[in-house]
Amino acid sequence: MSVRSGKAPHDDWAAALEIDDLTVAYNSRPAIWDIDLRVPEGVLMAVIGPNGAGKSTLIKAALKLIPRAAGTVRFYGQPYEQVRGLVGYVPQRGSVDWDFPTTALDVVSMGLYGRLGWIRRPGQGDRESAMHALQQVGMQDFADRQISQLSGGQQQRTFLARALVQDARIYLMDEPFAAVDAVTERAIITILRELRARGKTVVVVHHDLQTAPEYFDWVTLLNVEIVASGPIAATFTPDNLRQTYGGRVAYLHEGQRIAGLEDE
Amino acid sequence: MFFVEEVVIQLLLNFVAREELNAFLRDPQHTATIVGSLIAVSGALLGTFLLLRGMSLTSDAISHTVLLGIVVAFILMGSVFGQHPDLSSVWLIVGAAAAGVATVLLTELIYRSGLVKQDAALGLAFPLLFAIAVILVSRVVSDVHLDEDAVMVGEIGVAWANTNSHCLSGCESVTITPDDPRAELTRQCTNCRDLGISPRDDKAEFTEICTNCGQYSPAQAWQAGFTEQEPALVFWPKSITVMAVMTLLTLLAIVLFYKELKLSTFDPTLAAALGFRPTLLHYGLMVLVSLVAVGAFDAVGSILVVAFFIIPPAAAYLLTDRLPRMLVYSSLIGAAGAYTGYDLARGNLLGIANLSDILAGLNDLFGLGLSESWDSSISASMVLMTFFFFLVAWTFSPKYGLVSTMLRRRNQRRSFDHQVVLGHIHHHQGSASASEELAASTLYRHFRWTPAKMQRTLRQLRARNLVQIEANLVSLTERGETHAHQFRETQLTNESVGE
Repeated sequence: MSVRSGKAPHDDWAAALEIDDLTVAYNSRPAIWDIDLRVPEGVLMAVIGPNGAGKSTLIKAALKLIPRAAGTVRFYGQPYEQVRGLVGYVPQRGSVDWDFPTTALDVVSMGLYGRLGWIRRPGQGDRESAMHALQQVGMQDFADRQISQLSGGQQQRTFLARALVQDARIYLMDEPFAAVDAVTERAIITILRELRARGKTVVVVHHDLQTAPEYFDWVTLLNVEIVASGPIAATFTPDNLRQTYGGRVAYLHEGQRIAGLEDE
Repeated sequence: MFFVEEVVIQLLLNFVAREELNAFLRDPQHTATIVGSLIAVSGALLGTFLLLRGMSLTSDAISHTVLLGIVVAFILMGSVFGQHPDLSSVWLIVGAAAAGVATVLLTELIYRSGLVKQDAALGLAFPLLFAIAVILVSRVVSDVHLDEDAVMVGEIGVAWANTNSHCLSGCESVTITPDDPRAELTRQCTNCRDLGISPRDDKAEFTEICTNCGQYSPAQAWQAGFTEQEPALVFWPKSITVMAVMTLLTLLAIVLFYKELKLSTFDPTLAAALGFRPTLLHYGLMVLVSLVAVGAFDAVGSILVVAFFIIPPAAAYLLTDRLPRMLVYSSLIGAAGAYTGYDLARGNLLGIANLSDILAGLNDLFGLGLSESWDSSISASMVLMTFFFFLVAWTFSPKYGLVSTMLRRRNQRRSFDHQVVLGHIHHHQGSASASEELAASTLYRHFRWTPAKMQRTLRQLRARNLVQIEANLVSLTERGETHAHQFRETQLTNESVGE
């Protein structure tokens, strides 16, 4: 492996997310292998790699949603359990049942449950912040819609609003751009940029190689192991991409669309 | 449980006289409908979450395996404490909860092996535990009241007869000892039989024995005439208490943990990320299901209880798309099913028809010789009525029902037909081929429709003032013009602004 993002050259960063020696295996087959990764505070980072590269696994393991075989993960120097409130998470849209009997506003207010803790119910103020988050993603008119009556893009924006309402410092998003319409894609990227402007850190599992250099300022190329991680200009190179995808990405600079490599 | 009953009885006696209360509880219908409704409400509340988690059938598995918990608790109680608990004992409830959790654990263990699918894993786990329970019932505790009938459909009809008696006044229990003046003593020969002699024989030895000595409960003491005052008793059916406690526990859990249950049902991943414990909640839910299943076991058996978990939420799911309303509707549907189900068991279908009369009518007409008194299983009738309410929701639900779906489809089809015709006119109006393309009498040919369909569509369009026909030539009105234009704007352009 070539450009490893070990700790040594970057010790002056304030790391929002710091992963050391992280390995996750499904039935003894490693999904991600010995990951060392530091994400500096305030970047908008894409995690890019082919199907089965372990992109979602990386995020889920960081949040302890799946067991780790080895390794440590720290957010702002702390284990995740200590800083849950600082971390916002947007799961894949397909991970929930959209026929669930509830409204968009209610889904957004679920983002506040972590702050509320056990038993306490959201109050009027919480509903207002949920409504505000819906406004931010341009969904205020759909607050009372049953969620199955939203389009895919609207559902994705609802999920994004749910993360926004958490008011976290770092956001981990699993494929927010998957199968959304152009309007939603623009809405999402606008919000991601706003988050960055407010000093937040955003980590996004992304598929579209075409848009990556335009949307993100930082990138991690992943294929079970880390291929490269760093500022996008220096890292998102044909060489690195070829290494990440094997021989399959040959004509990046001739403007061919290589994206659309689907879910793992 | 006994203490809870005391409190409730004292409370009730502020409103009704003791005799009235006893008379009320002695009516089998009252106890059966109360117990049935409590089962239905608690089942419906839990079933709503099971349905949304896609695990309705887990309630079926658990309602069977609680039998194992009951039997094991029975055996332990018998061998360790030397007593036979009845079905309202706390230990049986603990045993049942453990059995419920064991079912889910075993299922997950089998499923995690990766060798069988989830439904098959459930199907492997629960018959195993149930089979063990059945064998234990027949081998070990065959003397107790746990027969196959009870397991099948329960005995809600006689629930009123199994009571705790609570004494309110005149509660004098009496102990008669041999030196009490009221003791009845008789002399009995102790060696007559051994020696083969008559009591009159000189060698006969005698001892005095007391025939009525011992402990008398207030009721027994009064009956035996030892006490002056008739004790005031209330006979409280045990199953009402058991189910009421289970229902209250269920309600309490759902009210307290509503937010957590909702989140972990909708999005377990986020629930875990936010630090709620989805697994813990999952098992908590399973414990509650076990408690309700064991409470209901006595009344409706282990097979039919699953209907109380599945049917009301399934009906409510068709009637609303808000979770709080779904919980309320499914409780109401369940309770209504239990209430009307009792009447059905007695032959009364919703007060509309008397099934006994119908049987008599059939006999008169065809001479079938059927038994004319309709008297059937109460629990089964409750299930039938609950299903009837489901059918009503399925057919008439305003949003998802068969009728409204059919009407909506028909309207959509009709409005699409309208658009097609409007579009055609819009397209050809004023063109060179207009006279050929827009002739009212032959318009149907261009669409390959039947003349009748075209006539109908044109009639509807004229009624809506969208088209006019002059000299056999169809044209759009001003309104129709706008309409066709709007349709092109909104439906035919490929803009994906969410909607």
